[in-house]
Amino acid sequence: MIYQAAIDESFPVAEPTQVGRLRSGDPAALAEAVGQYQHRLYRYFLRLVRDPASADDLFQQTWLHVVRQLHRYDPARSFDTWLFAIAHNAAMDLLRRRPGERLEDHEFTLPAREPDALSAVLAGERAAILAAAMAALPALYREALTLRFEEGMKMEEIAEVTHAPLSTVKSRVQRGLEAMKQKLCKEDIL
Amino acid sequence: MSDHEQVRQLLALSAAGLLDADEERLVSEHARQCTACAAELDEFAALSAGLSALPVPQPPADLVRRISALLAAEADRRQGAIFAGAAAVFACAFVLLTGQILRMLAGDSAVLVWLSWVGISSILGAASALLLASRRRLERRIV
Repeated sequence: MIYQAAIDESFPVAEPTQVGRLRSGDPAALAEAVGQYQHRLYRYFLRLVRDPASADDLFQQTWLHVVRQLHRYDPARSFDTWLFAIAHNAAMDLLRRRPGERLEDHEFTLPAREPDALSAVLAGERAAILAAAMAALPALYREALTLRFEEGMKMEEIAEVTHAPLSTVKSRVQRGLEAMKQKLCKEDIL
Repeated sequence: MSDHEQVRQLLALSAAGLLDADEERLVSEHARQCTACAAELDEFAALSAGLSALPVPQPPADLVRRISALLAAEADRRQGAIFAGAAAVFACAFVLLTGQILRMLAGDSAVLVWLSWVGISSILGAASALLLASRRRLERRIV
């Protein structure tokens, strides 16, 4: 069974003409782009750093970087991939400085269910349980899963965003899914 | 490695849609005959579907407004820096040209006048730049 990548059509992406306006420093085009990408970029940061204040800071840093580096953007490339690669670098800088953060732990085990997750189970909130299980994965696995399943990116796009080889991307998606399935099956969620 | 073990390694990636056509065929053919793998594949598929349907977290309501204001200020600062650079180049060219014209009109004695002119205009220019910079800092604090 092949998973059909869910590219959310409700989130528009930057058109080539808009990229041209962005490069010229048009403030209206910038505000438009920030509005277009706010949900996707904020979700990506929130999944990675798990903290709204840090997600907010990273969102700001990413757009400032975009404004300063737009002259380096190659319009032949996808704007989405370029934007998320900048976001990836900003998030990784923050996570590397964060004490106790596991970026990629090959021997990780998911912790027991936390009290808020338990109440979510009782309330039958399956999505909250899935999000909590995902949040317990090491950062690079969380990133691979959110880019694949929430952003609907192809393997090559994830590799470009994360600067990782295709085999590493595959391995992160596989290990992330296996760890989540094992935990959720043990708890009779799946 | 047996077919069963090989396919088990591929189940998560099959559910994620990350297998090539040959691997996908191997998985689907095996899953038709192996109930354990078929069940596991269903679980991965349910998990994948659940992940792709997670609710989108809502960003703070004022996020776009704040970031747009910040980016407009940044664009303004960059534009200001370009104008300041262009003005400095123009000022240098103007001062040198004035010196040359004075020398042609009044000879070497005009050098003193020219130096005075350069000194006064440099001091006035620097004072204007400092005044503008402090005003911009004040404006940013107000925003």
